[in-house]
Amino acid sequence: MIEISKVSKSYNRGVNKAVDGVSLSIRNGEIFGFLGPNGAGKTTLIKMIIGILHADEGSIQINGKDIRIDPLEAKMQFGFVPDDPNIFARLSGMEYLNFMADMYRVPPALRLSRMQELLKRFDMSAAVGDQIQSYSHGMKQKIVVIGALLHNPPVWILDEPMTGLDPRSSFDLKEMMREHAEAGKTVFFSTHVLDVAEKICDRVAIINKGKVVFCGSMKEIRAHARENQSLENLFLEMTENE
Amino acid sequence: MSRFWALLKMLLINYFGISALQIKDKKNRVKYLKKLGVGIILVAALAPTVYLYTWLLIQGFELLAPVGQEGAIITLGLVMVSSIVFFFGIFYVINFFYFAADTQNLLALPLRGWEVLGARFAVILCYEYLTELPFLLPPLLVYGIKSGSSLVYWVFALIGYLLTPLLPLSLASIPTVVVMRFANLSRRKDLFKILGSLLVIALAIGYQFLFQKSGSNSMDPVFIQNLLSDRNGLMNLISRIFPSTRYLGLALVNAGSAVGVMHLLQFAGLSLLAVVLAWLVGEKLYFQGLVGSGETTTRRKELEGKDYKRLGKGAPATLSYLSKEIRLLLRTPPYFINCVVTNLLVPVLLAVPFLLQSHKQNSPIPWEGLMARPQSQIVFMAAIIGLVMFLAGSNAITATSLSREGKEFFISKYIPLPYKKQIQAKLLSAYVFGALGAVLLIIAARILIPLTISLISILVLVSLVAMAPVIEFGLLIDILRPKQEWVNEQQAVKQNLNVVFSMLFALLLGGAILYMVIRFIHSPFLAAGFMLLCFGLAALTLYYLLMTWGIERYQNLEG
Repeated sequence: MIEISKVSKSYNRGVNKAVDGVSLSIRNGEIFGFLGPNGAGKTTLIKMIIGILHADEGSIQINGKDIRIDPLEAKMQFGFVPDDPNIFARLSGMEYLNFMADMYRVPPALRLSRMQELLKRFDMSAAVGDQIQSYSHGMKQKIVVIGALLHNPPVWILDEPMTGLDPRSSFDLKEMMREHAEAGKTVFFSTHVLDVAEKICDRVAIINKGKVVFCGSMKEIRAHARENQSLENLFLEMTENE
Repeated sequence: MSRFWALLKMLLINYFGISALQIKDKKNRVKYLKKLGVGIILVAALAPTVYLYTWLLIQGFELLAPVGQEGAIITLGLVMVSSIVFFFGIFYVINFFYFAADTQNLLALPLRGWEVLGARFAVILCYEYLTELPFLLPPLLVYGIKSGSSLVYWVFALIGYLLTPLLPLSLASIPTVVVMRFANLSRRKDLFKILGSLLVIALAIGYQFLFQKSGSNSMDPVFIQNLLSDRNGLMNLISRIFPSTRYLGLALVNAGSAVGVMHLLQFAGLSLLAVVLAWLVGEKLYFQGLVGSGETTTRRKELEGKDYKRLGKGAPATLSYLSKEIRLLLRTPPYFINCVVTNLLVPVLLAVPFLLQSHKQNSPIPWEGLMARPQSQIVFMAAIIGLVMFLAGSNAITATSLSREGKEFFISKYIPLPYKKQIQAKLLSAYVFGALGAVLLIIAARILIPLTISLISILVLVSLVAMAPVIEFGLLIDILRPKQEWVNEQQAVKQNLNVVFSMLFALLLGGAILYMVIRFIHSPFLAAGFMLLCFGLAALTLYYLLMTWGIERYQNLEG
């Protein structure tokens, strides 16, 4: 689970508030979508959750571990999939996976079975010996996903994960997110595409100009949007992105 | 505007950051002022060396003028500049012609080979004009002022200044373009880019030795006597290292006379001929060396159970991080050439001519007698340690460590490996290559000079300690101001001022301590102990800084 409590972050000495007093509680066993138009503050919040950025105010706990107070333990709790999978182009897929497994201290026997299982699932067994720079965008995305799941993390965080994936891989990824949640773990992902959230999320939060404007199930959001003009406009903006 | 000029303008703005000067808003002004500040610091740091160089030139002029050899100081400057332009040129050409990612984008535009190559050549030329400044300006000024030269001399000097880099830069680009054309035929592009670059560097070294050898063969006393009796004969001798410089040297010394004009025309003719040759070769081969050079090969072999067992071995996290650093340094061509090869080049440069020399021929320097004297041993130790430190400062491994990560830096931020361990792994990666360079250097020295086992042991020990503060300072400066906004890898290492800072630190620290050693200490063992103490203390202080301020700063850097 992820507990975000009154988190704020601003740039240019407080002039631009990227995230403004956000509080969210993401439970075990749910897929939580974090929605908002481009530039709403989604990536900033994700960066704070995973410890790349420090919050100016508030606290973030991942499975009870505070990312500021106990960063290493907190980092062990999640696997992260960035929005840009262009990483370590000159390592082979296998070298990258071994690197990630070493970072998360996955024992050799366990990593072998996890690698075999995930590579087969994503149809990457033949490519894993090649350098990542030879992969297509979708393949890079897949190897990053596999790297994030090797240590079987209790929390899975993904930043715009569907971008660039072909329909088949996108379907597989959604399936895996569902399985992860059904195993009692947490899936938290950001997207600016409403349709993606609608299909797989148990709950979503909508962020706009750094503030969470709504949090609940998709059904509740739709009902609320009919009564709330600004939420409806936001909805329209996001629907246009699809 | 023709396509060539449009491209050149775009490249100049891009590489020299000129656009920062044009924007008037406050943020950019601050950025510009920061750049200016860094520039002033660099000039101030170089000033003492340039002052010393100028002073030596003045002494040289006064010493040589009575025997009619004062022109030698100009040729000395010209030869030095030509050699530096040539060697730097090889690295610039490899980086700017082939490793810059924007060349791939330019391929899609309706441009001809010579236009792209010519514009890039011009950008490098601008860098070379800046490089020329501290080396060539002092001898031109000293000679001009001390000999009371006419206006024609100053005009010739300006023309000469502008023409000087053309020939060595063309000589650097022609073999590069040819070798890279054939390196591109291979399926393993990265590997062959690296091998191709090494071949070009080897050719360059070979060329230099060929001319040096032709100069040193004639060092008998009678020859030297004749040489000195001939006006500016010394100038002719020095210019053998880079023969074309002889014409410019003679043009400057004879400025105002018909002979001077003729020699200037000869020099200009030679320079332009080299440019035309480079242009022809570029038009013919440049694009062929570029098209498809970004391609990668794949094996796409289905893995079996035993492959997984072989590949999926675990390692401690810090070791794994270190091995990632080393793999990327070895496999990324711009990093390999600029960070790894620099360590190995100086030892090779030192060793090769002596290995090639026939054993029958006696060395002109009586090493055995010389090395028996304690003071010579101290000077020799200081020279080797100074070189080791300079190599550690110029290899850019730690000074670009965070810079090289670029957009990938966020990975180092979210993986559960303590920043302390990441910093240690980064230091260690530089230490591995630094130690390799030092050991090679000592082996090269051993080939050249008969060294005792005890002296070799001292050298190894002091080298390993002396490079530590330089490596640590490099990382500190890169943590302070990492250059992570780049579009192609070569920008992270080649256009990164942190490397210059790291080099300057090596020069200042090494210079100060080694000066004290040579000046005040008369026992080799005492000298080694003093160096160990000083460099050890510096290393511990900087390590403490890295483990306190460095970690905190690393923590606060945003990925």
